[in-house]
Amino acid sequence: FEELPQKCLIVPFTSETGLCGGVNSFISKSTKRCVKALIDDGKDCNIVVVGEKGRSQMRRPLGEKILTSASGVQYPGSFALASSLSTEVIKEFKEGDFDALVFIYNHYLNPATYQQMYQVVSMPKNSSEGNFLVGYECDGEWDETVDSMYEYMLASQMFYCYMDAGASEQSSRMAAMENATKNAGEMIDSLTLRYNRARQSRITTELIEIISGASALEGK
Amino acid sequence: MTLNFSLPHETIYAGAEVSQVIIPGEAGEYGVTVNHVPIISQLQPGVLQIIHEDGGGETEKYFVAGGYALTHENSVTDVTCPEAVKLDDIDPDAVSKNYDTAKTAHASAELGSLAQAEAQIEMETNKAMGAAIGLTLA
Repeated sequence: FEELPQKCLIVPFTSETGLCGGVNSFISKSTKRCVKALIDDGKDCNIVVVGEKGRSQMRRPLGEKILTSASGVQYPGSFALASSLSTEVIKEFKEGDFDALVFIYNHYLNPATYQQMYQVVSMPKNSSEGNFLVGYECDGEWDETVDSMYEYMLASQMFYCYMDAGASEQSSRMAAMENATKNAGEMIDSLTLRYNRARQSRITTELIEIISGASALEGK
Repeated sequence: MTLNFSLPHETIYAGAEVSQVIIPGEAGEYGVTVNHVPIISQLQPGVLQIIHEDGGGETEKYFVAGGYALTHENSVTDVTCPEAVKLDDIDPDAVSKNYDTAKTAHASAELGSLAQAEAQIEMETNKAMGAAIGLTLA
């Protein structure tokens, strides 16, 4: 994690339910690393967690950093969902007077692998300073238009990260389920063998008892 | 000039060469050709027209529900909208029905409330959609 601005709002994307392999623990680890890096550098940060799993995992170690969390978000979402999420985030962003947002999510590479990525999104506080759009004309109100456009850009960015994280979660869940099924199958096989062996040894024992009982009677 | 036209879930044009784009901005429709001044505009619900360069210069029309259009110095125009549909794909009956529902909601909502504002937005969008396909809604 390099070159992060002074005050960051971290938004990690996690899943709602479990049984999806390592996605959520990777995100928690990355978030912890990011927070540590910021604090070591003397910077400040807060967290807005997306997804129930992340909230429960990060509640204890990073509890005081968490501002709010968005749970009950079902995948796949639509852009409308991303817009409402981003409204929440923007509210926290403006209230806390942050410099930038850091999205932490799993980037989908292929059905077997995903990689943790982070994306820094800066929102200019005052519309005119350091803004590359200063030279542009506008047919409405410049300040308003630029502000709204940045909010829209944020919503798009959230949608992108959310979808990417969702795809990684799905592939990880598929892999986890396949492994679980395979392991269960192997367990069934080995247990069946044990069961048969136990059954056969019990039958053998009974036979021996009966035969020795019978031969004892005969012997008399 | 180059046009990038994208929606959150799909990119319609990336780096396409077009001769002109007519954009429904806040202050009205304006056309963008090569060497236009850099401009940023918030879009109203309306019709976006793309006039292609090749051959007969056919016009492609999309209805957009909002969004932003930026024109940069190097004659690259970016248009991004939450939703855009081709005019042919719009169903006039659905539009009239939606307009009537929105009108009723608008009339029954409290003055100045969020519900009324939402109903008003729906009404205006449906009206613009209707106008785009030649349907006049009162």
